[in-house]
Amino acid sequence: MAAGPWWRIGWRNLGRNRRRTILTATGLAFGYWAVVVIAGMADGIVADMVRTATGILSGQIQAHAPAYLPDRTLYETIGGNEGTDVPALLAAIEREPGVLGAAPRVYAGGLVSSGATTVGVLLVGADPAREDSVSRLTAALVEGHLPAPGTRELLIGSELARQLNVRVGTELVVVAPAADGSLANDLFTVAGLYRTGIAELDGSYAVGPLDAIQALLVLDPGRVHEIAIRIADPWTAPAIADSLGTRGVTPAGVPVAFRPWTTFRPELVDYANLSAGSMWIVVVIVFLMAIFGVANTLLMTTFERRREFALLLALGATPRGIVRAVLAEAAALGILSIVLGVVITVPVLIWWHYDPIDLGRLFGDFTMAGALVRPVLRTDYPVTMFFYAAGALLLTALLAALYPAFRATRVPPADTLAGR
Amino acid sequence: MTTPTNAAVRTDTVWKIFEHDGITVEAVRGVTVRIEPGEFVVLAGPSGSGKTTLLNLFGGLTRPSRGRVWIDEQDITDMSERQLARLRLERLGFVFQAYNLLPVLTALENAEFSLLLQGVDEEERQRRVSALFEKIGIAGLEDRRPGKLSGGQQQRVAVARAVVSEPALVLADEPTANLDSASSDALLDVMVRLNADLGTTFVFATHDTRLMERAKRLIRLVDGAIASDHRR
Ligand SMILES: Nc1ncnc2c1ncn2[C@@H]1O[C@H](COP(=O)(O)OP(=O)(O)OP(=O)(O)O)[C@@H](O)[C@H]1O
Ligand SMILES: [Mg+2]
Repeated sequence: MAAGPWWRIGWRNLGRNRRRTILTATGLAFGYWAVVVIAGMADGIVADMVRTATGILSGQIQAHAPAYLPDRTLYETIGGNEGTDVPALLAAIEREPGVLGAAPRVYAGGLVSSGATTVGVLLVGADPAREDSVSRLTAALVEGHLPAPGTRELLIGSELARQLNVRVGTELVVVAPAADGSLANDLFTVAGLYRTGIAELDGSYAVGPLDAIQALLVLDPGRVHEIAIRIADPWTAPAIADSLGTRGVTPAGVPVAFRPWTTFRPELVDYANLSAGSMWIVVVIVFLMAIFGVANTLLMTTFERRREFALLLALGATPRGIVRAVLAEAAALGILSIVLGVVITVPVLIWWHYDPIDLGRLFGDFTMAGALVRPVLRTDYPVTMFFYAAGALLLTALLAALYPAFRATRVPPADTLAGR
Repeated sequence: MTTPTNAAVRTDTVWKIFEHDGITVEAVRGVTVRIEPGEFVVLAGPSGSGKTTLLNLFGGLTRPSRGRVWIDEQDITDMSERQLARLRLERLGFVFQAYNLLPVLTALENAEFSLLLQGVDEEERQRRVSALFEKIGIAGLEDRRPGKLSGGQQQRVAVARAVVSEPALVLADEPTANLDSASSDALLDVMVRLNADLGTTFVFATHDTRLMERAKRLIRLVDGAIASDHRR
C-alpha cells in the first residue's frame, strides 16, 4: 500500500482549482523570496563589513611566527633570527586559489616627535606596492605621496598629523627599541597623510618603507613579523588558512601560523552569528503567517470535497489514507511553491549581487563595530538559507495541512453521501 | 431447513434511532433479515421508510442503535473503524446514486481503486478491470475522467469498481435514479448478468419500478419495518 493512490489523488487535486492553487503557491513563493533575499542582504552586509573591517589593514588571513602573538614580540620574526626567503614565501601564498594578494610587514612600538610634541605610535614597515593589493592604507592617502622604498619617509594618519601639528614635508624624530637591544632613533620625513575614518588607525600608525624600518629596527631583509593576505570571499578564510597551513607553503623547517579573521576578529564572528540568528526570526514569522493562509485554503478545499472523502471511507480507505491524500496535496503545493520561489528568487539574487542597491545616495558612509561600512546593499548568495527556507516552506505546507486532513477523516460517510 | 452456507448479510432485530434537537426518528425498527449469497434483492418502500438507513446498516456505514449485523457471519456491530474499513474494502462494494467516482481519477483508476488498496499488482488490476469493462460495454473508456463520461457510463464504472474485487455483497442505493430509462435498463442488464455470471450478491434500495421488476426477491419497508418479503 506504500505506492497507493494517495499521492496521485493529492497531486491531481491540486490542479482542480488552478487559480486558487496558483494564488496560494505565489503567496508561499513570495514568502520564500522574502526570506532568502533578506538573508542574502544580511549575508552581504556582514560580508561587506568583514571585508571592510579586515581590508583596511589586517587582511583576512595573517601569517606569523607561531610565538609572535599575542605580545607582538619584536624578535619573533618568521623563520626566527635567520629569517626566511620572503619573496618565495609570498609567491607560494599567492599561488593558493582564492588568494588575491600578500604583503610582508614588520611592527614595533615607538615614539615620534616633532618639536616639543611626542606621540606613541605603532611603527609599521610595509611594501607600498604590495599593500595596494592587500590593505586600503595606500588607497586612503589624502595628501602627499606614498613612502618610496629605500627612503626614510613615513605615511601617517591625518589625526596623528594633527596631534603632532605636522604636515607633508615635516621631519620627525622616530625612536624605537631595536632587535639588537639598542634604542634606535632616526629622522624620517612625512611623505603623505592618510585618512580611513577610523580614529584608532588615523591617530596612532606610522608607516614607512619595509627596508627602511627593517634597517631602523636592525632586522635583516629576510626578517618580517607578518604577512597579511587578502582573499576574494571572506567566508572562505578558515578553509584557505587551513589549506595554507597544512599544504606547507613555507620553506622547509620554517613554522608559520596562518590565522583567519574569524580567529583574530572574533567580534565580527559574533556579529555574523547574530545576523544569522535574527534571520531565523524572520523565517519563523514569515512561515507562521503562511501556515494560516495555507490552512485556510486547504480547509476550504477539503470541505468542498467532503463527499469524496466520504466516498473513499465507504470504499474502505482508512483515515490514514485520507490523511495521506491531503498531506500529499499539501506537499505538492509546497514543492510547486518552492519551484516558483526559486524561479523568482535566483534572478533577483544575481541581479542585486552584481548591481547592488546603493543606499549611499540616501545616507552617507558610516562606521559600525569599528568598521567603515559602505552603504551598498550587495546581496550575497545565502546558500544555507536557500535550502533551509525550502525545507521550512515544505514543513509549513505540511503543518498547515494537518488540521484539514484530520477534519477530512471525520466526515461521517452515510450522512455526507446523503447530502446531509 | 437452514442452508449450511454463510449468509451474505443478516441482521437480528436491528434498530436505528436518530435523535436531533429533541426530535426522535425511528428510521429502522427491529428488522431481522437474512440475505443469501448470490441473491438479487430490492428494498422498496415509500420515501422515508428506512431503505437507505437499512442499506447503511448492512454496509457498516451506520452503527445500529440496537440489534446486531453480520456480514459473511462476521459480527460487525462492535467493530472498530479500522476493522470496518478493512471489511468494507475486502467484502463490500458500494454503488451510490451520484458522485460515485473520484473526479481526479480516470475510469480505470476509479474502477481499480479497491484492488489497488488491497495490494493487487498492476498487471492483474488492469486485466480484471479491462475484462469487466468489456463485459459491461464500456471498453475503450479506461482513460477518461468521470467529467467526460455520461451518467450511465459513470454508473457502470461504479458498478465495475463495486464488483471487481469479487465482494461478498454489493450495496446499491438508487443506482438508476439519475439515469434516463435506456441507460437505466442497460445498467440493470449489466448487474443482472454479473449476478448470474459471477454470483455477486446485490442489494438495492430503490423507487425504480423497472428495478423492482428485475428483483428475485423484493422486500417492502414501511415505517422502518419489513411489511413484505417475496422471492420469485
Ligand atoms: N442522519 C439522520 N439524522 C436524522 N434523521 C435521519 C438521518 N438519516 C435518516 N433519517 C430519517 O430516517 C428516516 C428514514 O430515512 P431513509 O433515508 O433511510 O429513508 P429512505 O427510505 O431511503 O427514503 P428515500 O426513499 O427518500 O431515500 C427518514 O425519516 C429520515 O428523515
Ligand atoms: Mg434513500
